[in-house]
Amino acid sequence: MAEANQLFKEFKIQSVSEFFRRNAAMLGYTGKIRSLTTVIHEAVTNSLDACEEAGILPYVRVEIEELGREHYKVIIEDNGPGIPEKYITHVFGKMLAGTKAHRNIQSRGQQGIGISGAVMFAQITSGKATRVITSTGDDKIIEAWVKIDVDRNEGKIVKKEKHPNPKGWRGTRIELEVKNVRYVRSKQGVYWYLKLTAIANPHAHIELIEPDGRLIVFPRSSEDVPEPPVEMKPHPRGVLTDDVYRMAKKTRRSSVKRFLVGEFSRISDKKIDELVEYIAALRLIKTEDDKNVQEQLYERLMKGEVKAVLRSFRGYTKVVKQVAKLMEKPPEKLSWHEAEEIVEAFKYMKFLAPPTHGLRPIGEENIEKGLTNILKPEFVTAVTRSPKVYSGGIPFQVEVGLAYGGEIPGGFELLRYANRVPLLFDAGSCVTTLAARSVDWRRYKVDDLDRAPLVLMINVISVHVPYTGTGKQSIANVEEIQNEIRLAIMDAARRLQTYLSGKHRRLHQAKRRRTFEKYVPEIARALSVLTGEPEEEVKNYFLSYIEGHFAAKEAGGAEEVSENA
Amino acid sequence: MPKSKAVRREKPRERFSYDPTKVLTRLEEYGKKILEDIKAGKNPYFDIPMRGIGNVYFDEKRRVIRMGDKLSRRYFLNVAHARKFMQTLLIMAYVKRLVSENKHASLREAYYANKHTIPGTKENTFEDQRESDPIIEDLERMMGVLREEMHLTADRRGYIYGDIVIRDGEDEFNTSKLGMGGWAVPGTVEHLQFVEVNVDYALVVETAAMADRLIEEKFPKKENALIIATQGQASRGVRRLIHRLHYEEGLPIIVFTDGDPYGWYIYSTIKQGSINLAYLSDKLATPEAKFVGMTMDDIERYGLKNVTEKLKGIPPNKKGGPTADYKRILEEMEYPWFQNKEWQRQLKMAIKMGVRIEQQALANKSLEFVAKKYLPEKINNGELLP
Repeated sequence: MAEANQLFKEFKIQSVSEFFRRNAAMLGYTGKIRSLTTVIHEAVTNSLDACEEAGILPYVRVEIEELGREHYKVIIEDNGPGIPEKYITHVFGKMLAGTKAHRNIQSRGQQGIGISGAVMFAQITSGKATRVITSTGDDKIIEAWVKIDVDRNEGKIVKKEKHPNPKGWRGTRIELEVKNVRYVRSKQGVYWYLKLTAIANPHAHIELIEPDGRLIVFPRSSEDVPEPPVEMKPHPRGVLTDDVYRMAKKTRRSSVKRFLVGEFSRISDKKIDELVEYIAALRLIKTEDDKNVQEQLYERLMKGEVKAVLRSFRGYTKVVKQVAKLMEKPPEKLSWHEAEEIVEAFKYMKFLAPPTHGLRPIGEENIEKGLTNILKPEFVTAVTRSPKVYSGGIPFQVEVGLAYGGEIPGGFELLRYANRVPLLFDAGSCVTTLAARSVDWRRYKVDDLDRAPLVLMINVISVHVPYTGTGKQSIANVEEIQNEIRLAIMDAARRLQTYLSGKHRRLHQAKRRRTFEKYVPEIARALSVLTGEPEEEVKNYFLSYIEGHFAAKEAGGAEEVSENA
Repeated sequence: MPKSKAVRREKPRERFSYDPTKVLTRLEEYGKKILEDIKAGKNPYFDIPMRGIGNVYFDEKRRVIRMGDKLSRRYFLNVAHARKFMQTLLIMAYVKRLVSENKHASLREAYYANKHTIPGTKENTFEDQRESDPIIEDLERMMGVLREEMHLTADRRGYIYGDIVIRDGEDEFNTSKLGMGGWAVPGTVEHLQFVEVNVDYALVVETAAMADRLIEEKFPKKENALIIATQGQASRGVRRLIHRLHYEEGLPIIVFTDGDPYGWYIYSTIKQGSINLAYLSDKLATPEAKFVGMTMDDIERYGLKNVTEKLKGIPPNKKGGPTADYKRILEEMEYPWFQNKEWQRQLKMAIKMGVRIEQQALANKSLEFVAKKYLPEKINNGELLP
């Protein structure tokens, strides 16, 4: 047997860069095309989030310069609120730092690893620092070169300059030099990513300068800055033991009771009394030796018969009092076991559905604007469903947009979004794909989906989007979410169907009319030979007869529609 | 001097009646009606007697197949009719020009003359002769005039030989003085006039070979007969000629075909008309025609057993039958005009014996046999089938 000392010879503390290198896939840095898209994605989402929070209509400009083989300079500039000088190192240099990671809030990014990940990626591929130019609109512009100290996981400003800001410029411009990436106009590349972003963010003006100098503009089509999302307290049904344990350590509340009431949604003083009973009941059930009896008691507890369960134990009041005492102790003294008990009790209790005011859908009108503006379809519709809950306590909301015809080429296209962020990878396993394919499109007059000029966008909004993996590119097949997506698609598809049948009818009428009109000159000539009547006159008789007939038909058709309406 | 007692020329019952102005008047009437409809804001249409077996019946009294009175209405403002409506008018205008200019055109010429691309489309007025031919038939039905009266002719088939003088336009000739080939019957015979008819009857012969044989044996001269060779199923020209010779000149018509279902069908068409041209029966059919041969009795009577041929197909009493010839014979047995003892006996006998016999089989006796013995014997003795 090997000695422990021998084994531990190889033990090393892994540096952040080492971790990053090994886990690049988790952060979206795999493949030369995708890595570049990820860099842009991190910067652009930061810009959009920042503008939104500051109530600014975003203007984002992305420029990609080719410096050599698989070697680019990426410049992202926005008109956002800017970054105060002292936060620059934190924003760009420290992983897992941000304004949102610790809050229960819907946002584009989630872990706060994004832009510092991009800085890190630039650093480990090109060795260059990231140049940041920013101003909050005051009298100075900060220009800083940021690197990450990989061993200490800390931002380091290599060089810093201050410039006067006579015109009061406000915003942030970052320049990253990256290698091992490639710019391609593919469905996973930067162009497509920005196009999708523009569709879901009609209030943003987005520009892209491609390596060959071509300028592409996705203009703004809405002047409304979306309301910034609001923080939501976690719902008891959606938390883990670890959440409760850690929140309890950090809170400034005086007691466990006050902590639970204050920092979770749907927990009132009355609910705490109930919680006490449930915890007591669970403790007592665990003392029961007979497994069958235990099972029965759990079942009854699930049915809400907590008082009856308690009463079946002798001296239950003592246990209830013990638990009640627990509620009065300072939260930082809450043990892991106690947190576990609380979370277990939550599972048996009934709560009101979580509040949904923190969800920020794009909205039907804006989806329609976005799709119309970027895709130039002949028909567009959007459906935003009301919020629902999955896994008992996590609110989510689904919206879909449908665009048909016009400049859309043939072939069905599904645009997937989670919290407005385009998902470009792993489409196959995504719940959105499954839901879209599960719809019988022929019922909605789309006979051949794979050839139809149809674009379907799906946006799943949630504080906690259930991704299938760390790549965050595919949403797990949660039944409640799939159902909502299906309902939304079917609702939109019904409107498409109405449009298409109207269109078919009009096309059909025009075609019929043409059938008759094309024969008129022939008929007129022949009738003129037979009767001696002038050809032109005969022609006019026929044409005005056709005209009258179809005018009458049109009027009849309109009546039909109004009857239906 | 007529040798025959059984076959005698009768008094004429119809007069030569071709009148081009009738066609022109009809065409103008139809044109005016369409024009009035459209002026009055009505959907103009043609009423066209329906074609097909559903609209024909056998007229027991006159013993011809006749067309019923079922009409199909062809509207202008109907997606399914519009094209045919246009085509009908195009052909009508074309016919008007032909007749008034006294020109004749074949069906194929009529097709090409009216085929062109409709301006502003990729569509032709007619894509195929199969589109124009039915329109012409429709016009015949609709207006009750012959295609030939509209100066539209089919390919010529069949010829005649015998001592009759015909005037065709400016030419006048005796059909027995044109060589052994006789005179070819044109597509349209409406305008022909029979100046002199010095024959006692007309013998309609199915095959050209048999007709040639009879001419070589001088049968027409000796028997004072007119030979009409149909060359298979009789063309409209030939049928119309037979009809006219019978009704305008009183010539008895005797038909001589192979002893098989096809030959009997040729006879049936000459006599009663056809389903397809039922609307023309009054002008094409000759119900008084009689049948001289070949019959099943001839086989026994003239000892022709060894020159018969087997009927094709499976007999009715065998598994899978009846098919082919057998089936055809059984169908013919159902025809109203074959509902008589003699024909039923012949047809039954054919099925029973399972054989057919050709006209040329008579050459087995000798080349002269048919002209010298077979035909004179049967015709002069009146041994004819109804």
